[in-house]
Amino acid sequence: MEVLVWEAWIAGVVLGAFVMTHFWLMGKPAGCSTGYGNLCGMMTNRIEFFQIGEYAEKNNSKLWFLLGIPIGGLLSGLTSPEPWNFSFSMGMYDEILPQTYAGKAMWVMLGGALLGFGARLAGACTTGHALVGGAMLNPASLLAGAVFFASAFFTTQLLFKT
Amino acid sequence: MTSFKFRNNLFGWIMGIAFGFIMSKAGATTYNYHAKMFLLIDFQLIVVISASVMISIIGVFFLKKFKIKSIVTRKEVDFVKKPYQKGLILGAFLFGTGWGMTASCPGTIPAMIGEGKIAGIFAFIGIIIGTMTYGILKSYLMMERRYDGSRQTKKTTCDDNNCN
Repeated sequence: MEVLVWEAWIAGVVLGAFVMTHFWLMGKPAGCSTGYGNLCGMMTNRIEFFQIGEYAEKNNSKLWFLLGIPIGGLLSGLTSPEPWNFSFSMGMYDEILPQTYAGKAMWVMLGGALLGFGARLAGACTTGHALVGGAMLNPASLLAGAVFFASAFFTTQLLFKT
Repeated sequence: MTSFKFRNNLFGWIMGIAFGFIMSKAGATTYNYHAKMFLLIDFQLIVVISASVMISIIGVFFLKKFKIKSIVTRKEVDFVKKPYQKGLILGAFLFGTGWGMTASCPGTIPAMIGEGKIAGIFAFIGIIIGTMTYGILKSYLMMERRYDGSRQTKKTTCDDNNCN
């Protein structure tokens, strides 16, 4: 299923308004990757890192933010012209990734692990650093955002052009 | 009168739904837009991100200038910035590699699951594994530091001849 996608600049303006509204409503910057730590802490209480500091309280707005995102995706799918369905298709990536479902699942899981580990080591993900950190013109976030892009550019070029 | 915690979580949830919807409509959950951006064929996502940052820079400027109070906290908005931390460059490099491999990021993956993209479920499991790994390493380092710390305190007391 393909979702109906808005004109780029309209989507950008709406997203910018979202970032600003989040500041105004919640009183703090928006972020996605931190919420995964809440889930980790809820799965086991034997890892100290997920029980202290920002994870001392796990039933918080970061967790609920993360739980809301799939509903937004579902609403977007349901409001698209094509009917909603499950699909393992990854578009252009189908040609270059492992051809079996298991191979594809493992590839994506490895990539996901790099995303999760990298986001914690860098302090935030594309949302926290590029979108929100960019809005505050935070130097550390701009640096992280630049490295995100450079590294993903390099990886994609390697995947498709070699 | 609802409690602060309830309001905070409820608004967080609503913002999450809005975020997932916008990410999806912006094309950030469509694999091809990521591939085309990094192959320099189509700039949908570049335009989305640039326009968003420009609009929100203006928004943040006005929120700061008029010292706007937050709806949930009823205090001035806290523009807390993510600090530069050790490992930021390496972490960002690993993150970018994951981005290139999966054409998704922690914010878009839950939205992809909502759209019915099965790869999103596996990417989600991957993020949990990666986050868990970081937490285990970090907990180990904290434990080690505590151990070194306790050894050092003993040593200094010994130097003061209070060892007995």
